[in-house]
Amino acid sequence: MLSRNAQGLYWISRYLERAGHGCRLVQIQYRALQDRTVQELDRTWLRLYLSLGREPLGGRLGSNRDDDDFMFADAYTLTDDLTFEPNNADAIRNCIAAARENARQVRNVIGNEMWTSLNLLYLGMRDLGVEDIWTDRAGNFFVNTQDSIRGFFGIADNSMYRDNGWHFLQLGRFVERAQHMTALLDAQLEIFPSARRHVEPDWRSLLQIAFARGAYSRLNSLDFQPGAVIDFLVSDRLLSHSIRYALEHISNSLDVVSEQRPLAVEARRRAGRVAASLDYDWPNRDAGDDAATRATLGTIGSACRRLNQDIEASYFNYEIEDSPR
Amino acid sequence: MPSSPLTGDGPAPEQPLFANYRYDSRFYDEMFEADAAPRDHCRELFKVLGGMAPEEIAAMQERAERSFLQEGITFAVYGEEGAQERIIPIDVLPRIVDAATWDFIERGLRQRIRALNLFLADIYGRGRILTDGVIPVDMILGCPQYRIEMRGVSVPRGIYVALCGTDLVRTVDGFMVLEDNLRVPSGVSYMLANRGAMRASLNKLFRQYRVRGIEHYGALLRQTLSELAPRAIADPCIVLLTPGVHNSAFYEHMFLAREMGVELVQGRDLLVHDGFVYMRTISGLRKVDVIYRRVDDDFLDPLAFRPDSQLGVPGLFYAYRLGNVVIANAPGTGVADDKSVYAFVPDIIRYYLSEEPLLANVDTHLCRNPEGLEYTLDNLENLVVKMVGESGGYGMLVGPASTQAERDAYARELRKDPANFISQPVLDLSCAPCLTEKGASPRHVDLRPFVLTGHETRLVPGAFCRVALVEGSLVVNSSQGGGGKDLWVLPE
Repeated sequence: MLSRNAQGLYWISRYLERAGHGCRLVQIQYRALQDRTVQELDRTWLRLYLSLGREPLGGRLGSNRDDDDFMFADAYTLTDDLTFEPNNADAIRNCIAAARENARQVRNVIGNEMWTSLNLLYLGMRDLGVEDIWTDRAGNFFVNTQDSIRGFFGIADNSMYRDNGWHFLQLGRFVERAQHMTALLDAQLEIFPSARRHVEPDWRSLLQIAFARGAYSRLNSLDFQPGAVIDFLVSDRLLSHSIRYALEHISNSLDVVSEQRPLAVEARRRAGRVAASLDYDWPNRDAGDDAATRATLGTIGSACRRLNQDIEASYFNYEIEDSPR
Repeated sequence: MPSSPLTGDGPAPEQPLFANYRYDSRFYDEMFEADAAPRDHCRELFKVLGGMAPEEIAAMQERAERSFLQEGITFAVYGEEGAQERIIPIDVLPRIVDAATWDFIERGLRQRIRALNLFLADIYGRGRILTDGVIPVDMILGCPQYRIEMRGVSVPRGIYVALCGTDLVRTVDGFMVLEDNLRVPSGVSYMLANRGAMRASLNKLFRQYRVRGIEHYGALLRQTLSELAPRAIADPCIVLLTPGVHNSAFYEHMFLAREMGVELVQGRDLLVHDGFVYMRTISGLRKVDVIYRRVDDDFLDPLAFRPDSQLGVPGLFYAYRLGNVVIANAPGTGVADDKSVYAFVPDIIRYYLSEEPLLANVDTHLCRNPEGLEYTLDNLENLVVKMVGESGGYGMLVGPASTQAERDAYARELRKDPANFISQPVLDLSCAPCLTEKGASPRHVDLRPFVLTGHETRLVPGAFCRVALVEGSLVVNSSQGGGGKDLWVLPE
């Protein structure tokens, strides 16, 4: 498979996963708007922005967090910033435009159905502004957009030949997911340290972002213990948004696309090492020690970023010398 | 619906579709030989289409257009501002060519392409035709499409032009070649798409006529390209080099790559190392043997041609000169479809093949010659004047449609640099019935068959038949509102 095509598929799914995650974050934040206090909302906005590594409008991250001077900007402005802001590369519309641009470049390797669904998704929001979606049911836009993104992946699931192209689509999706989940959990512990008296909705909403609330409640009753929630989102093998689950899919796909090449082998090993550390080291951690947990999350996060570099360097932009002929 | 056999002579049913068709004896009509008198091989088509209700035909038209849009059979894919996809309008009334006519066209094209390949090998080699004075030396060497870099390059089997799409027109005097299109001809995907749509819409009639198939074009193209491979390789690696998604023919590039089952690459997917061309795949570099390029000469290799090219591959021409890769068509073929060289093609055929040309040329006056210039200036209002280096209708004066002021201005330009101009009579392109709001009406048409040359010369029995959709218009170009229709070639 042509490297450029593999790269295109990888980035289509990375961008779509990113857009989907962005929608989910805003959607869950919207639910909170209905019944939470302004101070509480401020903290969840902060969690959201911190996990995206972006400065909220009108405020600086990490400053005056315990002050009463809490409001940065109103939800309307922040929503616009996360959804339509042209200068925010990770804004939902920009991600979808980038996914579509990648798809356009590889139209010959994706089916018409995949292209059409992505194209319609983009065209549907190309000319929108926050004023168009800010109605009494403003959350609908984010729900519908997530549906369309899931529709795209559903078509891929049901129509793509399971060759290397398919695996690069998987890789992009799960590398992105592992990265944003790591960042989200780190932000959670920053804003809501587990030592502090925990407020249930802050942890419930975290589970909701990861589509994990139902499963968590079945397994752990309704006690949202910070340690148990983090544990579930990091290491559960059956939860589709857990870091462990993402790593397993990354490993599986790397197994398929790996040739016996130094860098590719390194990517495979790296994914395996992180997964193994979650299996064997993670359970021994002190769940009350946020600093240690965050350090581990930091290691996982940087391993995921290195994973991306490994994939780029061994499959897309390798040096002539590294290539077997 | 009538079901008489193909040659049956039953009474004609009501003909709502053709009721208002006005046969015009000034032009050759592809379907009729007189008013309401279809040609023999068109009689069944006349009956079947004529017997269909207008709604039925409109539905057929709509179906065809919708299928084009859905499949993305479009051109001018994207502008800077996003989607500007347009379909090339399809006309659902097929044009039929009988076996004898097609046989003649085919023989004429084979002869022409054989001579043009010999001509190119000669002018990039010893230049016999120039020293023998058949063609003025300065016309060839001064032609911007002449690539001095190609001098002495050994081209596999002497096949410079592996693919061409010759524009043919029919007048009351017979077929004529309008242009040879030897560089990167396009349109073949529309030929196949039109066929796909029509075979679905007029299936019964299609089978009755036993229309000859063209669906194997992709296979023939692949076979032709394989035969050009630089070494005797069982399964050479072929790629199609596209300028990218912004190119107006990107759909076609995608389509052909898929039809052939080869990779669609852009310049940045390829690299040259140790004199060989490789493409970057996820399993390492893979050697490329044949490049079917849809990128113009100028942009092929920034080291050999335009240094600012972002579309090409640095070092590609070097690998080509070494004979390690084949580029089809070869660089520099454009000199043979230059508008002033065109005038010499009949002489070229006589010179290399010692045969009389089968397909006629359009009468062309070279303004570089004093008598040609004088004739052109004296008859501006009756002539079409073209600049030799331009294509796509740019820099052209259509005499009968021009004002005196336009002609005066054009004449001044012409006098400044006569060698840059040629003139031709206005051609009476043949007509074929096309679907309009008033039923079938005559519209001017041409045809572009696609000729492939490898071990042998091959062409599928079909062509992209272009239609000038505007009443009376002679402009069939897709970019200027032209459409297409299916062309049915009948078996012997």
